[in-house]
Amino acid sequence: MLRLRFHGRGGQGAKVASRVLGSAAFLDGYNAQDFPLYGAERRGAPITAFTRISRDDIMERGLVSQPDVVVVMDETLLLDPQSSPLSGLKKGGVVFVNTPRTPFETKEGYGIEDHVITLDITKVSLDMIGQPVLSSLAAAVAAKVAGIGEKALRDALKKELSAIISEKDLLDRNIEAAIYCYNSVEPISIETTEKVREKENIISIPFETALVSSPSILSRGNTPLRRTGNWRIFRPVWDYDACTKCMTCVARCPEGCIRLNEEGYPFADYENCKGCLICAEECPVGAISKVRESHSQTKEGDQ
Amino acid sequence: MDSENIRSIKELPPEENMQPGTAACAGCGGLLTLRYCLKALGENIVIVNAAGCFTLLTIYPFSPFRNSWLYTAMACAPAGAQGVRDALDILIKKGKLDPEENLKVVVLAGDGSAYDMALSSTSGAIYRNLDFYYICYDNEAYGNTGFQHSGASPFGSRTGTTPPGEKVPVGSQLQKKNLFDIWNSHKPPYLATVSPAYPVDLMNKFKKAEQFKGPKLFISHIPCPPGWGFDPSQSVKLAKLSVETGLWPLKESIHGEVEHTFVPKKFKPVEEYLQAQERFSHLFKPERQEDALKSIQEMVDEYWRKNTLLP
Ligand SMILES: Cc1ncc(C[n+]2csc(CCOP(=O)(O)OP(=O)(O)O)c2C)c(N)n1
Ligand code: SF4
Ligand code: SF4
Ligand code: SF4
Repeated sequence: MLRLRFHGRGGQGAKVASRVLGSAAFLDGYNAQDFPLYGAERRGAPITAFTRISRDDIMERGLVSQPDVVVVMDETLLLDPQSSPLSGLKKGGVVFVNTPRTPFETKEGYGIEDHVITLDITKVSLDMIGQPVLSSLAAAVAAKVAGIGEKALRDALKKELSAIISEKDLLDRNIEAAIYCYNSVEPISIETTEKVREKENIISIPFETALVSSPSILSRGNTPLRRTGNWRIFRPVWDYDACTKCMTCVARCPEGCIRLNEEGYPFADYENCKGCLICAEECPVGAISKVRESHSQTKEGDQ
Repeated sequence: MDSENIRSIKELPPEENMQPGTAACAGCGGLLTLRYCLKALGENIVIVNAAGCFTLLTIYPFSPFRNSWLYTAMACAPAGAQGVRDALDILIKKGKLDPEENLKVVVLAGDGSAYDMALSSTSGAIYRNLDFYYICYDNEAYGNTGFQHSGASPFGSRTGTTPPGEKVPVGSQLQKKNLFDIWNSHKPPYLATVSPAYPVDLMNKFKKAEQFKGPKLFISHIPCPPGWGFDPSQSVKLAKLSVETGLWPLKESIHGEVEHTFVPKKFKPVEEYLQAQERFSHLFKPERQEDALKSIQEMVDEYWRKNTLLP
């Protein structure tokens, strides 16, 4: 049995990706199972979804805690302890990362020992679909890794996407972009052992009485520690030559994360700017531009 | 906050009583509303929050607030507020709490809670003249659980439970409840509608409400990017459009007497607002549903005509 786990952010389509993959596997003659993990999701929050594929009956239920394949739809999740996409990955497993970087750079950058495949599917989706919605593309990559045929993938995309996309043109562009991704990934054979990768530190949580384990929060205003800045796909960048210090952007930011520097010019706290770009939209003189987030691991330019 | 009215965005108080880093969606119009409300209310408040999107703002072990916060079931935030208010009053009376350290009690509820589940507990609280603030952020559906239809969902909208289909191409066939009038029939000391696109109006309404003891009620119409289906960057634009088209009248009521605080000089056609959202897209394609579009415009015109602000 092949066990796959998708890690994305709310709105990127991790749930649909796992569903399309499950359908594709089924249409290719396998048994399949797919489901998302529901929690406190919001657009941008970490989301997990699962697919099991097998020639035999699938008797296993529940979350996939030891996957053979991990699909990371948002690179920043690799550094997010809440998400921990590599957790429980089996030895010999495959990690797909959505990044403009090469597999080698990605392995080095994140210290991953496993087999890494990369492709900038966000760029593909912006170029070919016009929106950063990654469900069909991530499904296509996963289908290739899992060895599912192209025809089954096409049929599954048509079946699953037509239930949620009413525009024929958008549907076609999704399928076209997905097949492009499918063909961009080299076929691979996966042979995992039942052993989990060595780097893993699995934390087991002991039982605590309600008085200890019930959620009373005694800190005030500590959410900035959650660093929701890594939800961004685009970042707002200020041009101080154009800015008139009108304070509109400061007022309009839903997060309240735009501050003023010593000269009274606004800047975003990128640790927590979610990249909604209301500031750029509302600036009366167009002094804020929208720049594709490169998710650089260095923090240069973060001020 | 001093008693001078605020005249422009530049004069908004700089203090932030809510920190970033919450789980709210990027571009959430409700979060923007709440940020302004907390600027107006200050730090010395207790928020009693009915289950909804905003109960996820605080996720153990994190809180964005500088003030206390309590979580209740959807139907009973006003009852929770009564308990907190009583406790504060008793502590003050017994001399265990300095009156200087008294807190304002604030209910925060989505439309599902305010318009539907908690309507009776809210009515009770207003009736008892409970001294509290009530903020309803109205995204016109049960947002937190997948955007299902609520009593606030407008006619013609697509929600999780009113998908337009062959039999019912229009989506929701029901009219949005008029919560303002329901609340106003209780003649509360202060009641207002607000919008995150009009922060100056919003702040000044809170300032005005401060002088009244008893229920101070606010309904904010808030754009919800995933539920309404639009790019997060357009949130403020949409909030503005709902006011400029006349769909969301900005008004206040003091002891039952209603006055509009902003009347657009020239009303934009509602279509401009509807067309910008995926949840109304079925009204335009594959073909235009003229009857539905006309009746939505007619409903808006009728409101303003009745209020003698339109010929
Ligand atoms: C009595 C009850 N029924 C159902 C739920 C599940 N539930 C949690 S949040 C929510 C949606 C709340 O919708 P709304 O009040 O409009 O707020 P929003 O989610 O839009 O912020 C529901 C149905 C609940 N908590 N309590
Ligand atoms: S994009 Fe602009 S408005 Fe949106 S969170 Fe970032 S700084 Fe705030
Ligand atoms: S809205 Fe534009 S002009 Fe105004 S302060 Fe912000 S960047 Fe400067
Ligand atoms: S679902 Fe809508 S109301 Fe709820 S947090 Fe997201 S944008 Fe805000």
